[in-house]
Amino acid sequence: MLVDHFFRHESGKMVSVLTKIFGSQNVDLAEDVVQDSLIEAMEYWQYHDVPDNPSAWLFRVAKNKALNIIHREKYKRQYSNEAAYLLSSGEQSEPADPFSEREIQDDQLRMIFTCCHPSISADSQVALSLKTLCGFSIPEIARAFLTTETNINKRLVRARQMIRDEKIPFEVPKGKDLELRIQAVLETIYLLFNEAYSATKGNDVIRFELCQEAIRLAQMLENENTIKQKGDIFALLSLMFLNTSRFRARQDQEGNLLTMGEQNRLLWDRKLQASGFEYLQKATENTVTGTYYILAAISANYCLAPDYNSTNWENILTLYDCLVEMDHSPVVLLNRAIVLSKITGAQKGLLELERIKNEPQIRTYHLFHSTQAEFFIELGEFEMAISSLIVAAKWAPLESIRVLLKKKISYCKEKISCDSSF
Amino acid sequence: MLLIRNEGDGKSALSPEQQQKFLNDCMVYIQNLIKDGKLKGAQPLVREGKMISGRPGAFKDGPYNESKEIIVGYYHIIAKDMDEAITIAKGNPEFSYIKGARIEVRPIKTVEESTSFVYPKGE
Repeated sequence: MLVDHFFRHESGKMVSVLTKIFGSQNVDLAEDVVQDSLIEAMEYWQYHDVPDNPSAWLFRVAKNKALNIIHREKYKRQYSNEAAYLLSSGEQSEPADPFSEREIQDDQLRMIFTCCHPSISADSQVALSLKTLCGFSIPEIARAFLTTETNINKRLVRARQMIRDEKIPFEVPKGKDLELRIQAVLETIYLLFNEAYSATKGNDVIRFELCQEAIRLAQMLENENTIKQKGDIFALLSLMFLNTSRFRARQDQEGNLLTMGEQNRLLWDRKLQASGFEYLQKATENTVTGTYYILAAISANYCLAPDYNSTNWENILTLYDCLVEMDHSPVVLLNRAIVLSKITGAQKGLLELERIKNEPQIRTYHLFHSTQAEFFIELGEFEMAISSLIVAAKWAPLESIRVLLKKKISYCKEKISCDSSF
Repeated sequence: MLLIRNEGDGKSALSPEQQQKFLNDCMVYIQNLIKDGKLKGAQPLVREGKMISGRPGAFKDGPYNESKEIIVGYYHIIAKDMDEAITIAKGNPEFSYIKGARIEVRPIKTVEESTSFVYPKGE
């Protein structure tokens, strides 16, 4: 039996190695060769047992296919120097065999930096990373992100085009450049993670796996010796582990998103949580204070509370104050307002919301309006709550959220009719 | 003899995840057949080949069947009768994963019924 995700991860490895051989401008060719190799393996193994070393078998097939293509299309395409080398070395394994464990690992790292190059748009970076590094198919990516296959395909085409046009090299940047580019890579990984984690519909199994893939990519960076400053990597890993530990508790049976207060804490995965705390410790030792670190610390505070009411709101507010200094975005301020209201009451929360209500991205953000409604409900101002809920329903991205909001509206109406009957 | 027929390139539509699931199901399928002593041999067939037709002196390549369906592999199984062979064929993972998959079940002729002639085993 093959280990979990064998095909996906082998595919990621092989695309990376072949991209080095063909050159980053030919990443699509690498993907095609890998797809062919996987099918060939499948067609053969279907009738026999899987060989003892399936990975080596796959790589041999891929190598032969690569050689054939280079021979056949020698004059049609531009290849990297590696291609000429592979061609001359033929079948013998040389000291710098491109298919050795060490080289494969390096190539995957190069692939990360190529996929997450800042000239490629963010959504294309995510799509390309999932396709090439994680071995997800286009339909799988589309399902996970609730979009169409055409859409994902467009993002991939744009990404590959950008790699060709900008001549983005297949390499890990060095020196000062490396520090900057790591930030870009971490951003993509975090985006990938968030897209997978926060979507409320779509295939749950796939989305959980996407979260794990984001963790795996970050761990590739963690394991790289040439990267000296790893504080942010540890912090992001901590954040992702802590959030993933709550994955199964975030939804009820019908797939409705549950707030932290509604979650059954027995469903929290303590093993994942432990890894999260370990990474948080490592990040602390590296004296990082970046955004990921603070977000991880906030998440850790939630994880530590035995129940919602004993959450340490003062701690979390302090962390939000730090976060606001780094990231003044209205969404952060919105979250801070919720925490503040836990300590000083809903009235204060409402005042905070007043300060951001005219921000363009907030006006159309359903969570802003539903938060406002919650504050009004707490204060017993049900008429006001209803008008906020109506706006929230207008901007809610999913039917399931609208259903919940409508339930809240009828709840408020009941309250009003109860009051007036006295 | 179970002849596996696919329409075109059915397997390329599978994601790496499905490819692996398919393969793991196949492993279970094969191992069960081996365990029960029911598998004699199995092989994939290369998709591209030659079709020879014509007559001596005027051979030609083709014509190919108009349909895109081709035999992509076979399982040589031992079954006591047609019903058992059909049951085994129905259990093949092809049906769960490959769109338009078909399996042709053909007994190998071992006894000529009209004359009771027993054919020599081709081994």
